[in-house]
Amino acid sequence: MASKDSVKIAPGAMVCNECELRGDITIGSMTVIHPRASIIAEAGPIIIGENNLIEEQSVIINRIPKGEQPTSTPVLIIGANNVFEVDCHSEAMKIGDNNILESKSFVGREVELTNGCIVGAGCKLTCPEVVPENTVIFGQQCTRRQQMDKPPPQTLQLDFLTRVLPNYHHLKKPFVKGKQ
Amino acid sequence: MSHILQSDVVRYACTCGSLKPLSRIYFCRHCLKIRCGYCVSHEVDSHYCANCLENLPSAEARLKKQRCASCFDCPSCLHTLSTKASTVVVPSSDEKTVTRKLYYLACGFCRWTSRDIGYPDQTVASGGWPEKENPHASRIYNLLEHFKTLALREKQEREKKKKFIPRRNIYHLSGLSAAMARKRAGLPSIGPSSLKDDVGGPAELIPSAATEEVEQLPEEIFTDTLNLLKVTTLKQRLAQPEFQPQTVDELYPAHKCLLIKRSQRCRSCEHNVSKPEYNPGSIKFKIQLSAHYHVPEIRIVTCEPLRAGEKSEMIIKICNPTQYQSSLQFSPLPSPEEEAEELSKEIEERKQKVDRKDEKTNREDVLLLLPSICRQVSITEDPRPVNVALTGDISLPPVTLVLPPRDDAAEYDDSGDTHNFQDDPKIVVWRKANKAAMKLVITPEEDISEGRDVIVGFVMHYTYINTMATQLLEQREPQKVNLKVKLYITVGKVVGK
Repeated sequence: MASKDSVKIAPGAMVCNECELRGDITIGSMTVIHPRASIIAEAGPIIIGENNLIEEQSVIINRIPKGEQPTSTPVLIIGANNVFEVDCHSEAMKIGDNNILESKSFVGREVELTNGCIVGAGCKLTCPEVVPENTVIFGQQCTRRQQMDKPPPQTLQLDFLTRVLPNYHHLKKPFVKGKQ
Repeated sequence: MSHILQSDVVRYACTCGSLKPLSRIYFCRHCLKIRCGYCVSHEVDSHYCANCLENLPSAEARLKKQRCASCFDCPSCLHTLSTKASTVVVPSSDEKTVTRKLYYLACGFCRWTSRDIGYPDQTVASGGWPEKENPHASRIYNLLEHFKTLALREKQEREKKKKFIPRRNIYHLSGLSAAMARKRAGLPSIGPSSLKDDVGGPAELIPSAATEEVEQLPEEIFTDTLNLLKVTTLKQRLAQPEFQPQTVDELYPAHKCLLIKRSQRCRSCEHNVSKPEYNPGSIKFKIQLSAHYHVPEIRIVTCEPLRAGEKSEMIIKICNPTQYQSSLQFSPLPSPEEEAEELSKEIEERKQKVDRKDEKTNREDVLLLLPSICRQVSITEDPRPVNVALTGDISLPPVTLVLPPRDDAAEYDDSGDTHNFQDDPKIVVWRKANKAAMKLVITPEEDISEGRDVIVGFVMHYTYINTMATQLLEQREPQKVNLKVKLYITVGKVVGK
């Protein structure tokens, strides 16, 4: 497995040393990954875009589906400006831009998040579906509503973290072309 | 407190006949009886908003329809809305850009914002949010006015009856009253009294009429596919009864409902058993006569597995919460006949009290007319027998258990208990400060099926030092009284052989 492990971190991304990265992972610039977050690419590569915020204890898995022999390598793609809050769990193969997964939320493998969706704290999405744009899912009953605007990007928070995190944490070196 | 976890295990019988855990009952120190939420009168002390903690007098609260003027509820998920600020760059005349703060309402839970329904952002944080007019406001106002005049008229008629009956004879004898003569002739009265009498007929009011024809459903409802994201839920609709919006773009923020601080009053002696502090931010009480501070508390420590018809041991812990020594005895529950007798005695006692009160009020008729003294007349209800089917037998030791007073410092005292009680070690398992553990034997019924609850009951007699009476009767010595309370313990479920 070790030979397959290849983590590509774009310059400007903040990836803490204590997070768990397994498999073929590409991380876009300005993305912040907190310590103790896990990104596990066991079935195929994971590609994470720019300006994402992945907080502590959150899990992103490209999982091998049970009892199925994949014909091709599945690729998990995450867009830009997404927020994965503390202890959320995502197996979704495709996540667009400006989504928020709140604390303790769960998004299953068969679910596709488009853009501007918010999965509320503790909400679970397990059935196969494509969540329409700007959908908010909240509450015990996973009530849905549609928002007018997409949630604002967390620019301030990301700027703050890129400034503060290097002071207190060891970071993984970003991947630079030509050197390896 | 363990009561939160095992609330229904040990239940105390209230004087009114309902069963409640100790933490939910009151002990009236004036009647020396147990009271509960069902048999006290509830009074509104003050109205306040739970969000901004603003205190409103009741008249103002009624005027504002019991809602807070400044706080809003989210129309989508009914949580409280918060005011969010955003900075907007506004181009000004002299080619400079000025940043201005704009405020909007947002829900932190479902992320609803006032921008969703097209409310313009406000320049001040305190709002000035557009209010939606109730479409039926004028009709409701008319109805209110109508019934107000009716009520006034009824009141006047009642007063007239009261006034004229005793005076009639005098006027008859003198035969001088012109007003009376006019009245008897059926003419309208004149003079200053006519102003008061004539409230004007009830305002012309068109009564609502039932109609056979109901507006037909629009055609589209059968053909168009329904978008659930656009339709409001029943909960959202009923949260705003005056508008009952059908689509989500009609969901307007609603003013937050006020909460009340409530005091509770014993119905037979009219003393407060619970009175909160007036300040809405405070969670303390001025008066809190919770039974937890006055009646010995019983908890189950352990119990052997229960089998039908077989004996099993249960250990209970008894705690004396008062500042005085208390001695306890236990006796079986009274038979139905005895209980009925007790109940009738209680009812009789209550009746006498009410009669006495009536005499008093007759004399103080004038005082009662003053609205500040007028209080809601408490209606007392007769106590009812406790209706619980016991499914087990409990053998009660014929001992008197003496419990020392509560001492908050005892916990930190390592010197051990200095009390020297002559306890039977077979019954009293251990003692510590004001607590003692006692062993009891329980026999579930022979024919009880597996998985059923075993309920046992007994009467606990305890001595209580009445410190209240000393103040009232000016006695020097605190009075010692013997009280009793019926207890029902749900021990547990029957297990198989």
